[in-house]
Amino acid sequence: MTEIMTLRNVSVHFPVRGFLPFLKKGEIQAVSDVSLGVRRGEIFGLVGESGCGKTTLANTMVGLVKPTAGQVLFEGVDLHSLPREEFKKTRRRMQMIFQDPFSSLNPRFNVYQLVSEPMVIRGEDDEETMKARVVELLEMVGLSAQDLYRYPSDFSGGQRQRIGIARAISLNPTFLVCDEPVSALDVSIHAQILNLLLELQERLNLTYVFISHNLADVKKMCDRLAVMYLGKLMEAGDADKIFARPLHPYTQALIAAVLDIYFSEEREIVVLPGDTPSPINPPPGCRFWQRCPKAMRGCKTVPPAFLEVEEDHFVACHLVNGFPNQDLPEGFDQPMVGREKVPGR
Amino acid sequence: MEQVLKLRNLKVVFPTDYGLIRAVEGVDLDIYHRECVALVGESGCGKSVTSQAVMRLLDSPPALIRMDVLEFDGRDLTQCTEAEMQEIRGKELAMIFQDAMTSLNPVMTVGNQIDEMYRRHYGDSKQAAREKTVHALELIGIPEPKERANSFPHQLSGGMRQRVLLAMAFACMPKLIIADEPTTALDVTIQAQVLKTLRGMQRGCGTSLLLVTHDLSVVAKMADRVYVMYAGKIVEKAPVKELFTNPHHPYTVGLMAAVPRLTDEKKKFTQIPGTVPSPVHKPSGCYFHPRCEYATERCRREMPRLEPMGRDRQVRCFHPLGVGGKSSD
Repeated sequence: MTEIMTLRNVSVHFPVRGFLPFLKKGEIQAVSDVSLGVRRGEIFGLVGESGCGKTTLANTMVGLVKPTAGQVLFEGVDLHSLPREEFKKTRRRMQMIFQDPFSSLNPRFNVYQLVSEPMVIRGEDDEETMKARVVELLEMVGLSAQDLYRYPSDFSGGQRQRIGIARAISLNPTFLVCDEPVSALDVSIHAQILNLLLELQERLNLTYVFISHNLADVKKMCDRLAVMYLGKLMEAGDADKIFARPLHPYTQALIAAVLDIYFSEEREIVVLPGDTPSPINPPPGCRFWQRCPKAMRGCKTVPPAFLEVEEDHFVACHLVNGFPNQDLPEGFDQPMVGREKVPGR
Repeated sequence: MEQVLKLRNLKVVFPTDYGLIRAVEGVDLDIYHRECVALVGESGCGKSVTSQAVMRLLDSPPALIRMDVLEFDGRDLTQCTEAEMQEIRGKELAMIFQDAMTSLNPVMTVGNQIDEMYRRHYGDSKQAAREKTVHALELIGIPEPKERANSFPHQLSGGMRQRVLLAMAFACMPKLIIADEPTTALDVTIQAQVLKTLRGMQRGCGTSLLLVTHDLSVVAKMADRVYVMYAGKIVEKAPVKELFTNPHHPYTVGLMAAVPRLTDEKKKFTQIPGTVPSPVHKPSGCYFHPRCEYATERCRREMPRLEPMGRDRQVRCFHPLGVGGKSSD
């Protein structure tokens, strides 16, 4: 299968400035050294907690953010080296669906204006063709021609998200980034929207990057996925393989933290201690070491390599890959205990 | 068992330009000593309005509030003056809100905000209050509590802020805590931490807890008894084990099926058709009938009553599932 989107060692850093704007205090390493490929026709999941850089990575894929380093290849072409006109043309084939359908739709536009806006920008000016196309799109997402002149405020959250989807597919894109498309919606509407996305994918031959913090959704939706923590990939590859045998302690913790809705007598809540540390000037070693239940002394200073452990299953963890053969601190493979893990020590 | 809260026939109506919004239509609630009761429903079902009415936090006007009984710890709250309510709120009846960032004062250190509880309710001195605050922060699992007490809310992480709210709610060892979506704004791993702390504190302090949430997985871990609300009415009431093993109301069944699980098959989501009805134009008969696959002519005409169904269970449905040989699948 060919890759529609390839990231090669992509990093996105944002400078943090202090009182004097020219003095750089540090940088937020939102995404650092990420390489991955999204294959044509698949649903690729991007999982992680807030602040892990998944949205920044998605924005980089569609060209909304320019990477500090590395390449973003869309259908084999480096997106950020294209001349402006070419870039705009390519951008039409990649679209986004946003998380919050309440703030992503202009409240003063009616449905027709909202859905036809991308066509207007492309240079379409025939009202009749546009209207027919908008009605066709509305029917595809489960709305009707009667809704054409209504405003976002007349719709419920689920219906607004349908408008957002209609807008995103209006220019026949091939690549869609869905950034937490259901996390603002009610449980009973949640499933409706995900089913709609699955149906559209099949009908229009779309490729999705599906961003979510809900692992159960990701497991059901995705063919392949990547787990991020503090700007780095922890584990990536085939979804079935990762869920069947999660290798990274962070992936294991995430899966354990999913509260199942089955009732069981013991009602145990599995806890991963600690908070996500700040992405400003992160430590040199593994980004997860402070919260990792299996951290070893070497994890603090030696960054783990991102290696393929079985076909289409990549992990960045010393426990799985072993330490590299280079100058290692003393006792690098000893487990860390108690106070050693307190941040700042 | 000692009853902490008794609410009968609560009705809340908001008059608007578009018509009357009947937010809550005759809700009864019972909470006993040391138990955790969950009030579950989707947005707009009236669960938050119910909890605010119990705290007597709803402003009237605009809200029109009627209730037959509101008894808290043997006292009739409907007869209390605002001054008396202020004595009760925080001390005996506390609340935890969803969004810790907006419910904490951004220009006061979190320590001072917790100190206020002890100074206001017990008349403690500054030093005595601070000692208790540091102890409370320690109990709730905040590292270096002495230093953290001098932090402002924006200097703490989301999970930490939620813990500060917990410390504040448990400060005076209240009889009942109402937690309105306490973990919705948090990340998965942090949510598990906060829930575990909340449960530990509730058991340790012997407090009763009313957990208002839309998340059935939280209910499965935390609650002893559950009330399910839909469009302003209780549709099902059951002990947690019975609710999850044998739900009776089609809405409860649908809601449970709609929550994705790690064990499910791929690429297909079970959905409830339609949307939650607008609170201004509620359907005739049973409010759930337009979305219910078992609806009959009678459901379209008549609102079912909340009928008892076995021990400590009630269901508002003419055709309850999972009863007498009918399968709930």
